[in-house]
Amino acid sequence: MVDVHIRIENLTKKFGNVIAVDNVSLDIKRGAFTTLLGPSGCGKTTTLRLIAGLYSVDYGEIFFGDRCVNDVPSHLRNATMVFQDYALFPHMTIFENVSYGLRIMKLPAEEINERVEKTLKFLGLEEFRDRTPGMISGGQQQRAALARSLIMEPEVLLLDEPLSNLDAKLRVNIREELRQIQKSLGITTIYVTHDQEEALAISDSIAVMDKGRVIQIGSPWEIYYTPQSTFVADFVGVANLIKGKVRQITPQEILVDVGNQTLRVHNHDYQVSYDQRITLNIRPETILLSKKSPEGQSNVLSGKIKTHSFVGHFIRYWVACDDREFIVDLHDPSTVGVLDEDVYLQLPSSKLHLMPGER
Amino acid sequence: MRKILKEPLLLVILLVILSSLGFFVIYPMVSVFSYPSIKDFLIISENARYVRAIYNTFIMVLLSTSTAVTVGFLFAYTLARTDVPLKRIFRIISLLPLFSPPFMIAFSYILMFGRNGLISYTLLGHRYDIIGWHGLWLSETIAFFPMAALIMEGVLQSISPSLEHAGRNLGATGWTLFRTITLPLARPGVAGAALLVAIYVLADFGNPIMIAGNFIVLPTEAWSRVSGWGDVTGAAVLTSILLLPAFFFFLFQRYWVGRREYTTITGKVTLVDMPPTRWYVRWSLFIFCTVVSILILCIFFGLIAGAFTKGWGFDYSPTLRHWQNILSFSEPLTNSIYFALIAALVSSSFAMVGAYLVTRKEFIGKKVLDFVTILPAAIPGVFFGIGYSLSFNVPPFDLYGTSLIVIFSMIFWNIPIGYQTAHGGFQQIAASLGEAASNLGAGSMRIFWDIELPLLKSAYISAFIVSFIRAVTTLSVIVFLVTSTNIVATFRILNLVNDGFLGQGAALTGALLFLTFLILGCARVLFGRKIELFRI
Repeated sequence: MVDVHIRIENLTKKFGNVIAVDNVSLDIKRGAFTTLLGPSGCGKTTTLRLIAGLYSVDYGEIFFGDRCVNDVPSHLRNATMVFQDYALFPHMTIFENVSYGLRIMKLPAEEINERVEKTLKFLGLEEFRDRTPGMISGGQQQRAALARSLIMEPEVLLLDEPLSNLDAKLRVNIREELRQIQKSLGITTIYVTHDQEEALAISDSIAVMDKGRVIQIGSPWEIYYTPQSTFVADFVGVANLIKGKVRQITPQEILVDVGNQTLRVHNHDYQVSYDQRITLNIRPETILLSKKSPEGQSNVLSGKIKTHSFVGHFIRYWVACDDREFIVDLHDPSTVGVLDEDVYLQLPSSKLHLMPGER
Repeated sequence: MRKILKEPLLLVILLVILSSLGFFVIYPMVSVFSYPSIKDFLIISENARYVRAIYNTFIMVLLSTSTAVTVGFLFAYTLARTDVPLKRIFRIISLLPLFSPPFMIAFSYILMFGRNGLISYTLLGHRYDIIGWHGLWLSETIAFFPMAALIMEGVLQSISPSLEHAGRNLGATGWTLFRTITLPLARPGVAGAALLVAIYVLADFGNPIMIAGNFIVLPTEAWSRVSGWGDVTGAAVLTSILLLPAFFFFLFQRYWVGRREYTTITGKVTLVDMPPTRWYVRWSLFIFCTVVSILILCIFFGLIAGAFTKGWGFDYSPTLRHWQNILSFSEPLTNSIYFALIAALVSSSFAMVGAYLVTRKEFIGKKVLDFVTILPAAIPGVFFGIGYSLSFNVPPFDLYGTSLIVIFSMIFWNIPIGYQTAHGGFQQIAASLGEAASNLGAGSMRIFWDIELPLLKSAYISAFIVSFIRAVTTLSVIVFLVTSTNIVATFRILNLVNDGFLGQGAALTGALLFLTFLILGCARVLFGRKIELFRI
């Protein structure tokens, strides 16, 4: 039985006539790292702020454990937040920033000192204790903001795109650091990002959002390999979407008519019926690309390379097959060299993922 | 709304603010409008003097606004976009008129260029008379171009030099670049400055009362209606006529131009080196700025010289007699300082709380609060003064001849200054700071004290100083309110000059100016260079 820490039921929030969060229901596991992922304006930050208690709920309920927290003020929810712009108080030192919440609780000075020391040390910030936020780097500010939240020993940690203001390399480093800290403290964490790679790398569970709704919830693996809609397939990773119609269903395989060709798709208990319109997806790195026609294989398409882009650890080809275009990634291009002109694509039937509907 | 109802203290503060604005801003306005009958308004066109005053005011708005904005733009362009020598000195000199009483410029020009003027008569031997519309034109240009320059300099600085670099890169140079890139980008700023200056010219009382002579304009005619004929109805009618265009300019500036220039005006100064200005442009601007600077320095020279001279125009031997006279009757001066300090303190605190509510809280009537708080910026001083004299000189609110009526008028007339400064300050503070504090357990009051107030300290002090300077130098607002029991320095100066005691008038103006700069200096020493003045 799963230990649900935060349960969101039919949550709705409007700003004027704009529905920012539209009837969202979501269970968040205790101690897990859950990510709300989606394009900007999808309602992920609003959802996070509703959980934090910074916005009031219009409809629906938020439960922490068994307790409905709709009317509980932000600071009594024991859920601290790290803001996108860090929101470090510019006129206070790092010590004063980090100790702010404890000072409001009017804890004795020694205890405050002790806890701040411990937290600063934990995050490697001891030497910046007396500096103001303007005097330290972006990565250090990010850590200071995290320290200010963690020192409250929250049950829930809320992170609103905390890495978006950092440069690419630092982002990856701090991301790993963040994950380690979260694991070692075992703290329930909700993380908001629009960066799908970040979400895949860091999360236990991802909720993909679009237009105020949760579209799909699942592990990074599920979200990447078995998206339930073209939106998710396209938003997370690179998708090759192929529209088609179901022609034959067997327990092992589904045959799909695609233009003037038929593709064999491994049947993972898909709930489809004969003649149904569906969309297939295949990830670029799972397509096999060769100069010679592969013998005795199904799902082989002939095509022509239109252009390529060399990224280092892989090379990406755009291949035209009739009126369709495929993106194909080949790893370690150093052994093969750059291909051109006529090529053959083979789509492994177990790597083709089937989604109902054509959208 | 739900949130503010949960915080009773906040609700009480809100109600106090709304009701005092109603009582001290709206009620006096209504008093002025409702004092004359409809018939009094209908017969305006039959009164030749009224018609002349309207016509003259209109002419002066056109003339003075055009010149002030032109001079201001050339100054701003020189300061922001060229490598003209002595830029820093030009900037400092151009700011000086902002700190002086409005009538001082006209007064000093009479000393320098009048019938007995030092330059016109004593040095050049001309009985040239500066009194009249042309003297007023000069004084108003010099008085109001600094404000225009300040606004437009901000706008020009916010135009990223990379835009000009891009223009140059595509082949535009010199005049073409200026005409196609710089000027269009600065246009909203220029329009905003022009409207603001127009409001100042419309409402100007100090300069015309000193230098316009028989050339009557609406504010001075309103004053002479009351002081000469005891005709309060006439004064109410005239100032009401004045309010309409001022109000229109104000609305236009705030809701049309203001919206357009908002994003550009907040941009920060980019330090990309600018290519050198062409030599003829550079030196033309240099000469121009020098001439204007000399005209400004003349004001201060004339004033100081006048304060230490026995008989201006015929006996230039030095004397301290005027100062002795001033000090032997120091009540106007101490009153001025005392009233203005109290008023500035209350006004900027009040404005700060109002701005906090408007920027940080949700409640019904927020737009109304915002509008009424900035409304006095559209009200000409004479209108405001008459409003107070009509509203608070009679029972049940009889404040006739008290310090309170003067202080209240100064508080509420200057509310927009503090409000706009604080409003801008609050908007610059990211809302997430307050949310972070709230998330860590701070309540509304705690957030205000711990986070917002410390970050707004410099904004608050700027607002306080500007309110103080405006209160201590105002003449138009208090001219209808002072009597012998609550006399202030500016009013006393007006009487001295009218009665021909030019030396004493100069000495009192000098003393007022000295105290203003003293307080400004103290603030600089105490709070450092962070304070930005006159950021309107």
